[in-house]
Amino acid sequence: MRYYIGAEARLRRTVEDVAMSVFEGWNYEEVITPSVDYYDLFEQGMGQREAQRGFRFTDNDGRLLALRPDVTSSVARMAATLLAERPRPLRFCYAAPVFRQQSQSHAEWRRENTQLGCELIGVGGQPADLEVLRLAAEILLRLNLETTYCITINNVEIFNGVAASLNLDTRAREQLRRLIDTREAAELRRFLNGYANEGQAFAQPTQLTGKRVVIDAARSLITNARSCAALDALDQLWTAIESLGLEDSFEIDLGDVSSLDYYTGLCLKVFVYGAGSSVGRGGRYDGLTGSFGRAEPAVGFVLNLDALTEVLARRGSLD
Amino acid sequence: MITIAIAKGRMQDSALVLLASAGIHVSEAKLSSRRLALSDESGDYRFIFVKPADVPVYVEHGIADCGVVGRDVLLESEADLLLPLDLGIARCRIVVAAADPQAMTKVQGMIRVATKYSQITRAHFGARGIPVEIIQLSGSVELAPALGLADMIVDLVETGVTLRENGLTVIEEIAESTGRLVVNRASYQLKAGAVTRLVNALTDALNGSK
Repeated sequence: MRYYIGAEARLRRTVEDVAMSVFEGWNYEEVITPSVDYYDLFEQGMGQREAQRGFRFTDNDGRLLALRPDVTSSVARMAATLLAERPRPLRFCYAAPVFRQQSQSHAEWRRENTQLGCELIGVGGQPADLEVLRLAAEILLRLNLETTYCITINNVEIFNGVAASLNLDTRAREQLRRLIDTREAAELRRFLNGYANEGQAFAQPTQLTGKRVVIDAARSLITNARSCAALDALDQLWTAIESLGLEDSFEIDLGDVSSLDYYTGLCLKVFVYGAGSSVGRGGRYDGLTGSFGRAEPAVGFVLNLDALTEVLARRGSLD
Repeated sequence: MITIAIAKGRMQDSALVLLASAGIHVSEAKLSSRRLALSDESGDYRFIFVKPADVPVYVEHGIADCGVVGRDVLLESEADLLLPLDLGIARCRIVVAAADPQAMTKVQGMIRVATKYSQITRAHFGARGIPVEIIQLSGSVELAPALGLADMIVDLVETGVTLRENGLTVIEEIAESTGRLVVNRASYQLKAGAVTRLVNALTDALNGSK
């Protein structure tokens, strides 16, 4: 629970306005979605584990409702149903609070967070991925965070391809995922000892993060077609980032495997000096709209307005 | 500059020895002062000394970029941190201990367990469907069975002397615990070079000492 009073509220409003004006400049239409919706919607959109973090309650007729734990689910359903006939691509943006239960011990803990987000629906491939990365970078630039942010990018299919080619069952796959996610070097080496070459790509956690050299190192160890295609896509995306002169603000992080079941290609996280956890995340989720009856590619991200405001407030001002 | 939170107590001395062998020295004069925050001789690192349970808190919030703390504390806190290195220091075990070796099957009704580690205890017994009443204490847990507060305890054991002197025996081992290097997720990306240098220096020091 958090109050913003006077100058703080103004700062927060300014941050929101900056983001929304950047979205508008890229032709993203604002969308306002219901704060309360049927719980089923969010379970379909986010998967059971994440949706269960929502606050749930029942309607008069006994049906389960939830305070929206995310906006993307609602936008995806809207695209698949209300706007099924609209020509693609669709570009939407929003500034909206989301509500989640979280264990109190965690630093990110807040029941309510306002997301500044965008969704680009109906186009796949590199141009769309690059578009949302440029959007995120432009917002951070306009907030004068230019030299103090870092966006990490990865493609989840690199891990998925390796896990498939190692024939990992669900449990072993989750164990490998967790060890990579927390960078437990010794345990990783022990785990991967039982497996052939490809797994070794993940055996040195400190070599998973960096610039293009990370991709080259992974290429020398990974041979399965699925991962190679993902590495090629990431490589091309990196080339595009370099040609825009943005490579100082971006990092490749092959160890970002935190939401493998949600994203289907690109995934990204946003870090800013002064914030102890990521202040934004996103990626490609081509599987999402399919669960509402119309499968099509989609990519997007959210920034955490409250976290950004806090960083900027501590810094003194926007100037 | 990188800030490292170090768990006070058992961990502190062996952590400083290890850091020194990795080329990160803190002068004796500074250490003997009572200051809780001090920097190393190169000025690249700042150390803060806090209670073990607070290390994950400082690191998760990014106030400290890195931390040195026992696995027991990490299991208990469930903090979302990176765990790049097992430092192998301050080795000990988290165990279930009781006066009677057969306590697990002999206790009538709900088993009462006294511990500082309620999360670990809940997870350990919960995984096997054994209902327990957890009695949260903050120290001298070994006293609890003798005074009738609990049937057994879950606690850290290094040598086993304290357990024996209080008439307790280990009936189950839950996990082994050693000192870990933990890193904040944002620092890992934003200060990648410095964090990697620290991890590599410590890795070399560990390999050298084997």
